Amino acid sequence: MIAVDHEEILERLPLRAEIDIVHIRQLVRLRGKEYGMGLVDQTRITTAASEILRNMYVHADGGEATISAVTVQGRRGLLVTCRDQGPGIPDVQLAMQDGYSTADSLGCGLPGAVRLVDRLELDSTVGQGTTVQLLKYLP
Amino acid sequence: MDSARKASQVNERVTIKNLRERLDRLEDVLASAAAMKLDVRVPVTEDDELASTEEAINVLLEDFAALLAERRQAELELQEKLQTIQRQQDAINELSTPVIKVWDGLLVLPIIGTLDSQRTLRMMELLLEQIVATGSRIAILDITGVPVVDTMVANHLIKTVTAAGLMGAECILSGISPTIAQTIVHLGIDLTGIRTKSSMMEAMRYAIRANGQKIVSVKPLAEAIGIEESPTDE
Amino acid sequence: MNEPSISSKIPIIKLGHYLLVPIQVDMTDYMVADLQTSVLAAIDRTGAKGVLIDISVLEMFDSFIGRTLSDIARMAAVMDAAVVIVGMQPAVAITLVELGLEMTGIDYALNIERGMTLLNQRLRETDT
Repeated sequence: MIAVDHEEILERLPLRAEIDIVHIRQLVRLRGKEYGMGLVDQTRITTAASEILRNMYVHADGGEATISAVTVQGRRGLLVTCRDQGPGIPDVQLAMQDGYSTADSLGCGLPGAVRLVDRLELDSTVGQGTTVQLLKYLP
Repeated sequence: MDSARKASQVNERVTIKNLRERLDRLEDVLASAAAMKLDVRVPVTEDDELASTEEAINVLLEDFAALLAERRQAELELQEKLQTIQRQQDAINELSTPVIKVWDGLLVLPIIGTLDSQRTLRMMELLLEQIVATGSRIAILDITGVPVVDTMVANHLIKTVTAAGLMGAECILSGISPTIAQTIVHLGIDLTGIRTKSSMMEAMRYAIRANGQKIVSVKPLAEAIGIEESPTDE
Repeated sequence: MNEPSISSKIPIIKLGHYLLVPIQVDMTDYMVADLQTSVLAAIDRTGAKGVLIDISVLEMFDSFIGRTLSDIARMAAVMDAAVVIVGMQPAVAITLVELGLEMTGIDYALNIERGMTLLNQRLRETDT
């Protein structure tokens, strides 16, 4: 996972109901804005988070999301960590592929999310769960 | 070394006044110098063998301080130059992605230089802002000034065209040289769905028609009706 | 001339031959299913030839929303109605493109007025 020099946890939020996806991503945007992110970057990290959170909700029956202000190799950033105890991802390589060219996909927004953030790290064990980290540097 | 002198030196007793004190002072000065405090010097009060060593050390410190000052100056100048380059680069970036409203409902983007992610993003933001501000339905992306169109540049162009499309505006690519056309085909770049015209003029001709507009030449019309064109010197 | 809508959250408004659906809130699964049913029912009831989906208030657009709107467009097409999405915000457009989301069968316009012009055009095209 992403090695941070320093982490300050800003929010720790459970994802239990579908409406939590909306609440969490609104907080991601709010925090991004608070820390000076431009509008497009705010939209990017919020969209990426929404993809991962929905995956978590649909495949893993929920989990937990943490929003932190971090410093990585001297650079300040916003880190969104999504942890679940779901079935895990058996083939990460496959999951990261752009197999879907239309919106009729299984909702696996991973390849899309990767393009929207500066760093994405994933740790998954079949039968135990998955953790996804999204990092967007601050201006 | 002169053997006579050498012999006399071996046999002679050397008397150095205040040896311990002066050695301490030497140590202090050298320690300061090591800590980068180079304005210190050894006070030379006697005129003996040690004095010449003390003077030599002072000369060394002098040279060293001068060298360091030179280096610091060079660093400062370099910093300044780098900042100037950055400012100029920013200015070039700003200038080279203008979005020009040439007529009602029509924007033109003359793209100069190579397109990297940074510039593409800037260009997209500017273009979309202008689409909203002017309500333009068509934008001409002219790539006459783009030296190389490779897969990366093509992708950036496609992204821009797609984004504009999501806001209800059509993009037309113009200024495609025969060389670039060849490259595009060789690289297997897929530009389907994007309207391309060889020249800006052709692109504008299309755009004006598509916007439901028309350019009419006034002179022949005036002649046909028999009206004399009045000079506009009011 | 507003058609009463089944979905209490997202209204469906009749605009001449067309329907206007102004999306005002972040949608959830429940609302989506509801909206799809409502829109199709409204098309059926009014014989509308086009649906304008106004997303000018949406600050974010992920693959879930994309899928939803794609589905509505496909279903509407089967009922001979075209779908136009209007009012996408620039930041959303940029993010969508980077996300790599492609939605087929949907037209886009800057605003409701332009959307109606586009729908009129489409109608004229299919009528010949």
